[in-house]
Amino acid sequence: MAARHILWRRVLCLALFAAFFYAAGDAEAKTALRVGYIGPLTGGNSSIGLGARNAAELAVFERNEDSGATYNYELFSLDDECKPDAGIKVATKMASDKKILGAVAHYCSAVALGTVDVYHRYGMPVIVYGAVSPGITYGNNYPEILRIIGTLINQNKVASEFMLSQGYKRFAIIHDTTDYGKDHKDYFTKFIKEQGGEILEPMFGVTSDQQDFTTELTKIKSMNPEVIYFSGLTPLGVRIRSQMEKLGIDAQFEGVSGIKSDAFIAGLGPDLAEGCLSFLEGSPVEKLAGGEAFLRSYQARDFKNLPDTMAPFAYVAMRQFLDVIEKVGPDRKKITEALYKIKNADTLIGKVSYDDHGQNSEPYVSKYVAQDGQWVVWEDSEYASGKRSLKKPGAGK
Amino acid sequence: MMRQMLAFLSGSAGCIVFALAIIVWLHVFLMAEEHVPIFICLVTVVGLGVAANMLKVTDAVRTSLAEHERLWNLCALAVPLALIWLFREDHYNLFLIGAIMVYAVAVLGLNVQLGYAGVINFSCASFFGIGAYTSTMLMTGAGLPPLAALLLGGVMAALVGCILIFPVLRTSGHYAALVTMAFALLFKVFMDVNDFFGGPQGITVPPMTLFGIDFSHNMLFGDTELSFYLRYDLLCLLLLGLAFCFVRRLERSWIGLSMDAVRSDDTASACFGINISRWKITAFVVGNCLSGLAGALYAMMQAYISPANFTFSDSLLFLSILLLGGIGNMWGVILATVFVVLIPEKFQVIQEFRYLIYSGLVLLMIIFSPKGLLPRQPRSYS
Repeated sequence: MAARHILWRRVLCLALFAAFFYAAGDAEAKTALRVGYIGPLTGGNSSIGLGARNAAELAVFERNEDSGATYNYELFSLDDECKPDAGIKVATKMASDKKILGAVAHYCSAVALGTVDVYHRYGMPVIVYGAVSPGITYGNNYPEILRIIGTLINQNKVASEFMLSQGYKRFAIIHDTTDYGKDHKDYFTKFIKEQGGEILEPMFGVTSDQQDFTTELTKIKSMNPEVIYFSGLTPLGVRIRSQMEKLGIDAQFEGVSGIKSDAFIAGLGPDLAEGCLSFLEGSPVEKLAGGEAFLRSYQARDFKNLPDTMAPFAYVAMRQFLDVIEKVGPDRKKITEALYKIKNADTLIGKVSYDDHGQNSEPYVSKYVAQDGQWVVWEDSEYASGKRSLKKPGAGK
Repeated sequence: MMRQMLAFLSGSAGCIVFALAIIVWLHVFLMAEEHVPIFICLVTVVGLGVAANMLKVTDAVRTSLAEHERLWNLCALAVPLALIWLFREDHYNLFLIGAIMVYAVAVLGLNVQLGYAGVINFSCASFFGIGAYTSTMLMTGAGLPPLAALLLGGVMAALVGCILIFPVLRTSGHYAALVTMAFALLFKVFMDVNDFFGGPQGITVPPMTLFGIDFSHNMLFGDTELSFYLRYDLLCLLLLGLAFCFVRRLERSWIGLSMDAVRSDDTASACFGINISRWKITAFVVGNCLSGLAGALYAMMQAYISPANFTFSDSLLFLSILLLGGIGNMWGVILATVFVVLIPEKFQVIQEFRYLIYSGLVLLMIIFSPKGLLPRQPRSYS
C-alpha cells in the first residue's frame, strides 16, 4: 500500500509541474529582439547549413558584445532539412511569430522556391544566403525576399566568357535534372551560343542519383567535344570525371559551383582532379578584405563545424539585418524598406547593392582550377601563369 | 479510495477526465518553446502512462471506452475543436494540428490494408503523393473546382492501387513488400524526371475554395483575426471524422470480419469460402483512396509540393506511425500520429541533434512496448 501512496505523490508532483508550466507559458516575456536563421542542419547538406548557422550566430554574438548597440539580440534557428515540406513548416513557424523580425535563410533552391510565398504572406523580411535559382527573387514581386548571393545567371556569364577566352569552341553538356542543373545548363548554353560557341546536341540529363554514365559518355566521346560541361553537385561530378578517364575521353572538364568542394578532390584524388574547372560566387574567405578577421573570430568561438563556403554570406546578411534594426527599430515593414536602401555597401563578400527585386546586383564570381589537390583561384594558379596548361582546344580533332 | 477512483474512471467521467487531460497536455506541449518545458511535458506523459498502467487506470479507461463509446466519440471530436479554438490566431500550431489530422487519415488507410486484411504496403506516401499531384494538376491544368479535385485525388490513388495490386497479389510475404517498395522508388523518380509535374523542384498548389470562400485568407471574427488554417483544420477534422466512422463501420461489418480472417489464416479462410483476393483488393483500394484524399488535402494546406515529400522514407514514417500506435487500433493510430508529428517539430530546439534523440525515443518505444501504444483488443461479439 505504501508504494502506491508514493506513486500517487509522484503523479501529483508531475501534474503540479505541468500546471505550473501551463501557467508560466503565457507569462513568459523576453526583452531581447529575435532574428532567425533557417537552413539544412541535418541531412546531406548539413555541413554547409551548420557553418552558415554558426556564422549568423557569430554576427549576433558580436553585436550583443558591442556596447554601442541599442538592442540585445537572440538568434532563433530552425532546420529545413533541404526538403520543401519541412521548409514550409519551419518558415510558417518563424514567419507567423511576430516577435521574429527577419531571417537569413535557405541553401537549397527547391526549399526557397516553396517558402517565398510563406514569407510574403506573413510579411517577414528574409535574406537568402545560399540558394541560387533565379526564380527566388525574379519569379515574384515580393518585397520581403532579398538575396545576397548572386544567381546562377551571373555565374554562367562569367564561366562562358572565360571558357571562350581560353579558345574552346565545342561543348558537350551533362546536367542533372533538378532545377539547379537545368537552369545552369540553360544559361550556360544561352551565353555560349550568343558569343559564337558551339553546343553539341544532344545534351544529357541525368538523375541526381545515377551511378553509371557509360552510355552518355560513349556518345559524347563520338561527338568529340573540347569541353565537357557538367552542371550538378559533387557526387555526380566525381563519378562522371572518373568514368571519363576510364573511357579515355581527353576533354577539358568544367563544372559549376556545385562541384567546388573539398569532397570533389578527395573523391577523385589529386591526379584525376587536376585541371578541373569550377566557378563560385564570392572569393575564398582568406582572400576577402576582412576575411582573416572573420576566420579568426569564427575560430575563437569554438564552433564544432568548419565555416563552409556559404558562411560569409550568412554572416554578412545577418549583420545587415542587425544594422538595419539598429537604425529603424523592431518593425518588419521598416526593416524591409531599409534593406532595399543598401547600395554599394562594402562588406566581407565584396560590394552589395539590392535591385528592385531584392537581388544583390553586384555579386562577384571567382574562377577556380584544381591544382595539386586544391581548388586554387584561377589568377593565382600555375595555369594562368603559363607553367601548366589545360587541355588544348582543338586537340581532339 | 483507489477502488472508488477506478470505478469513477470506468464510468462516463473517465472519458471527460481523459479528454480534458489531453487538451491541457497538448496545449502546453504545443506552446512549449524551450528545452525544459518540452522535456517536462514528455516526462509527464511517459510518467502518467506508466503510472496509469501500474494502477490499472488503463483498464478502467478501457471499460469506459467499451461502455460509453458514443460519449468517447463525441469527446474525440471535442478535443481537436477545443484545440483549434484555443489556437485560433496561431498559424503554426493550427498547421501542425491540421497536419496531424491529415496524416491520421492516411494512416487509417494503411490500417485497413495492413491492420485488417494484412496487405503490406511500403508505398503509402506514394499514394499520398498521387492524391496530392492529381488534385493539383486537375486544379491548375483542368481548372476543376478544388472539392472535385480533392475527391478525384482519392479516386486516382485508388485506381493506381488497382494496378499495383496485381503484382502484389501474385507475390506474398517479403516479395509483396518488395513490390510496393519498388513502386515507392518508381513514383519518386517518375515525378523527378517529369517536368509536366513540376520536376524535382516541385509545384505550387492553389488553395481550397468551398462555397465561394477562399481558404487562403484570414477571417475576421469580431475583433480577432482568425488564422486561415482554421478553415483547413475544420475541413481536415471533417475528413478525419468521416474516415474514422467509415473505417470503424468497415471493421465491425462482415467485411471487416472477412478481412480479419484473411489476415490471420488465408488457407483456413479459403476453406470456409472466403474469397481472399477480393478482400485483399478491397482493403488495398480503400486504403489507398483514403491516403490519396489525405494527400490532396495536405497539398492544398501546404500550398507547395515536391517529390521530396513523398519518398520511400516518408512511407516508412507512415508505417512507423501504425506500428507505434498498435496495428489495427484506430485510437492508437491517432495517438501515435500526434507524437510522430509533434515530437520532431518540438525537437527543433536541439537543432542538429534532433533526429538522433528522436530515433533514440523510437528505439526505446519499440523495446518497452513492442505491440505499440494501444494494442488492438480482441473483437467483441457481444
